[in-house]
Amino acid sequence: MSRTVSLFVPCFIDQLLPEIAVDTVTVLRRIGYEVDFPEDQTCCGQPAFNTGYWNEARPCAEHFIRVFRNAEVIVCPSGSCTTMVRKFYPELLANSPLLKEAKAIAARTFEFSEFLVKVAERTDVGAYFPHTVTYHASCHGLRELGLRDEPRQLLAKVDSLRLIEIARFDECCGFGGTFAAKFADISAAMGNSKAENIAATAAEFVTAIDPSCLLHVQGILGKRKATARAIHLAGILAQEKP
Amino acid sequence: MARQTESSSRDSILGRIRAGLRVVPHSAPPEESERPIFEDINNPLERFQGECVANLMECTLTADLAASARQLATVLQSLPSGSIFVQDDPALRRLIDIAAPGRAIRWSSEGAPEESSQATVTRAEALIVQTGSILVTGSCGGRGASIVAPCHIVLATMDQLVPDLTTALRRVSQQQLLNSNSFACVISGSSRTADIEKILVQGAHGPRRLVVILQSGPA
Amino acid sequence: MSSAAAQFLRDAAEKSADLAHREIIRRGMESYDTAHLKGRARIKDWEAAREKCQQIKRQAINHLDRYLVQFEQQVIARGGHVFWAEDSEQACSYVKNLATQRGVKTVVKSKSMVTEEIHLGPVLEKAGIKVWETDFGEFIVQLRGEAPYHIVTPCMHLKRDQIANLFREKLDKNIESDDPAYLMTVARRILRQAFFSAEMGISGANFLVADAGVVAINTNEGNGRLCTSIPRIHVVVTGIEKVLPRLEDLAVFWPVLATSGTGQGITTYSTLIGGPRRPGEADGPEEFHVVLVDNGRSRLLANPEQREVLHCIRCGACLNICPVFRHIGGHTYGTTYPGPIGSVLTPHLAGLAEFKHLSYASSLCGACSSVCPVKINLHHHLLQNRRDATEAGATKSSERFVFSMWRRAMLHPRIYAFGGWSMRKGLRLLYGLGLAGSALDPMQVWNRHRSPVPLPSKSFRARWRNGFNTNGKAN
Repeated sequence: MSRTVSLFVPCFIDQLLPEIAVDTVTVLRRIGYEVDFPEDQTCCGQPAFNTGYWNEARPCAEHFIRVFRNAEVIVCPSGSCTTMVRKFYPELLANSPLLKEAKAIAARTFEFSEFLVKVAERTDVGAYFPHTVTYHASCHGLRELGLRDEPRQLLAKVDSLRLIEIARFDECCGFGGTFAAKFADISAAMGNSKAENIAATAAEFVTAIDPSCLLHVQGILGKRKATARAIHLAGILAQEKP
Repeated sequence: MARQTESSSRDSILGRIRAGLRVVPHSAPPEESERPIFEDINNPLERFQGECVANLMECTLTADLAASARQLATVLQSLPSGSIFVQDDPALRRLIDIAAPGRAIRWSSEGAPEESSQATVTRAEALIVQTGSILVTGSCGGRGASIVAPCHIVLATMDQLVPDLTTALRRVSQQQLLNSNSFACVISGSSRTADIEKILVQGAHGPRRLVVILQSGPA
Repeated sequence: MSSAAAQFLRDAAEKSADLAHREIIRRGMESYDTAHLKGRARIKDWEAAREKCQQIKRQAINHLDRYLVQFEQQVIARGGHVFWAEDSEQACSYVKNLATQRGVKTVVKSKSMVTEEIHLGPVLEKAGIKVWETDFGEFIVQLRGEAPYHIVTPCMHLKRDQIANLFREKLDKNIESDDPAYLMTVARRILRQAFFSAEMGISGANFLVADAGVVAINTNEGNGRLCTSIPRIHVVVTGIEKVLPRLEDLAVFWPVLATSGTGQGITTYSTLIGGPRRPGEADGPEEFHVVLVDNGRSRLLANPEQREVLHCIRCGACLNICPVFRHIGGHTYGTTYPGPIGSVLTPHLAGLAEFKHLSYASSLCGACSSVCPVKINLHHHLLQNRRDATEAGATKSSERFVFSMWRRAMLHPRIYAFGGWSMRKGLRLLYGLGLAGSALDPMQVWNRHRSPVPLPSKSFRARWRNGFNTNGKAN
């Protein structure tokens, strides 16, 4: 098996939440992987795709394929962007000359927790996180990629972490990309329901495998002046015992 | 009525359907799966009784016609006085003779049950173990017989138990029950609603009680 | 923006902030959730059941012409009538003319979403015919002059005291309690008179069985039974997509419909009707009519991606799980069919221009598709409707401009990096001046309900370039 992985850092992680990518690299290196970051990468095309602008999303997807065509394994710390590549590229590029490559790339692109558990076969990555945590199963990771247990398996092996179950763990947080702007009131109401459920666990942190959900949830928690904070799974796994 | 429109709308709808169906769907057909869907039935009688309880219906086992008559009499005594409607069937005539001599009876051969009927007594075509249901058709005293009165009493025999819905529906097809009857119904419990705050209310528009007298000997 | 879209936005804002409403829906849905999960656990292999239903519906819809004709022939052979209605107008006229010709004064209706879709009730009322909705929930919303809130539980938005007050106001000022059982007794007493005086009963159909030539009607209350047993005319109004090839198919569809709809193992009354009263039967209607309503459905057959939307059996499971429905409720949609299935179907039945906003009113979370008993890929169809709206040029020009700029940036990593840097820099400046959430803030909509997004000084790619790439440890 290759010991080098290519990192796909979705645009909003790159621009707004770079720590998540840093933490992802930390964990991958800790378990013995070389990490490569193809610098010409931009966005997978999901914002346009999900808003209905498939003609705008398509060249973006083709750009992604050209950037990553030589990567053996692609790892991405976002369930939703992985879904875009894995599940939607073949449909988006159905009539593109790059369709065959799209399908091949789809098969070697993995979400971060999925890569750790299924490809690297590691659930214990030597993490230490002495806090209470609740886990929100983000929609794309759970229902499009079928990642039900992988993040939990990783959390279970974190030293000193206590996992508290949240009510309706698999209900959408209300982000939904442009939905959050087009239907801001509904999105916020859903986010507030999620925040109430988080508060009911009294956990210090809420974690997930989708940074976009966490950005939204943190925004809601911040506005409510809640004590709980949102943290990406990579942020937990990157912590070591001092 | 409006024959012209009738045939022209029929033709244009069928035409559009046929034109539409010439388009090939994008998704591949789902894989044929023959995995068993429902739990196996090991002890039919026990299962049937359990399902009856879950369906809020009463099921009493009896040994013979005399015992069934005693059971029927007990049920009838618990109801307000007033006329009862009975499917005109030889076994039920015998049963009523023993259980309710002198009670005002309207037989299904005289027409539909009256609105004021206190109870209806009928046979069933089959009992379905899987769902704790009775299968009735128009031959079981008609349509109103199982719905109009506050209490519906069914006399059935052990040999009428069929394991599941598939068997019951297959029997309906094979015996062409829907050609000889305009109506059939799989009844699984008493009438109910949960429309207000999802609170279960037993006895909506139909019977509050569904009583099955299940006789082991022949009727 | 269409007027329906503007109304939707207003109602959604109001309802999503209405905590009392949310609490009522939450309680109703939670009791459904419990029953639904319990019901699913009673089925040995739920996924196998879904696959079977999907297969059967696919077969039915892919041979719709053949099965409809097979159904029709048998109904006619048994003395029934079948009318094919292209649209609401034809369907309503047929029923109205039939009623007037036969001197019908009173109609009792059991629950039928198709009659809601074609607005049959008002058409009959206008012709001077009294129409009674007899499903308890439908009876209540009819008294309120409202549309059903939910396709299975029409009055789930009401609390018992509201219903008791409604009864006091409309039926009897001496209503003494808000106990649901008592209120049901009151409705039963009133509706009994209606059942026994009506000349016509109108029902929907849950399924049309082709090989047996019968309609299958499922109800729990028994009102559907009374509507189809007592009046001398029975009219079934149903969509053309409801066919199943074989009677035996009901052996899986009945349990699956009940499980998805209410969590029951099977609906209390699973009724099959093939025609008018036959010689020798004690009772039953003298006339039996089936109105097969197209109203846009046949057009959907020609859609190679969305034909499967016609597989829907109207169980309501997608509404119940939908987090958007749970926050805005059924009436906000402003459509006959609310929730995910309604958002997918309505643009096809009632026009993309007027109802395309519903395709966007979803976070695409996919919960609907995961529970659909016939495995319709609902959330993906919403996405396809968005694509179609864009390709039809139905989106805002400002949005088209944004995405064309976005595309340019994403194809040029340097423009992208510069764009990102300037956005962060600009917002930091703005927020430094205390202008977060102001009219000048491009993130105003975001910041109305949320605290501002983090704005790090360096992007990940900048950190990577600054030596992080060769560093063994992240810092």
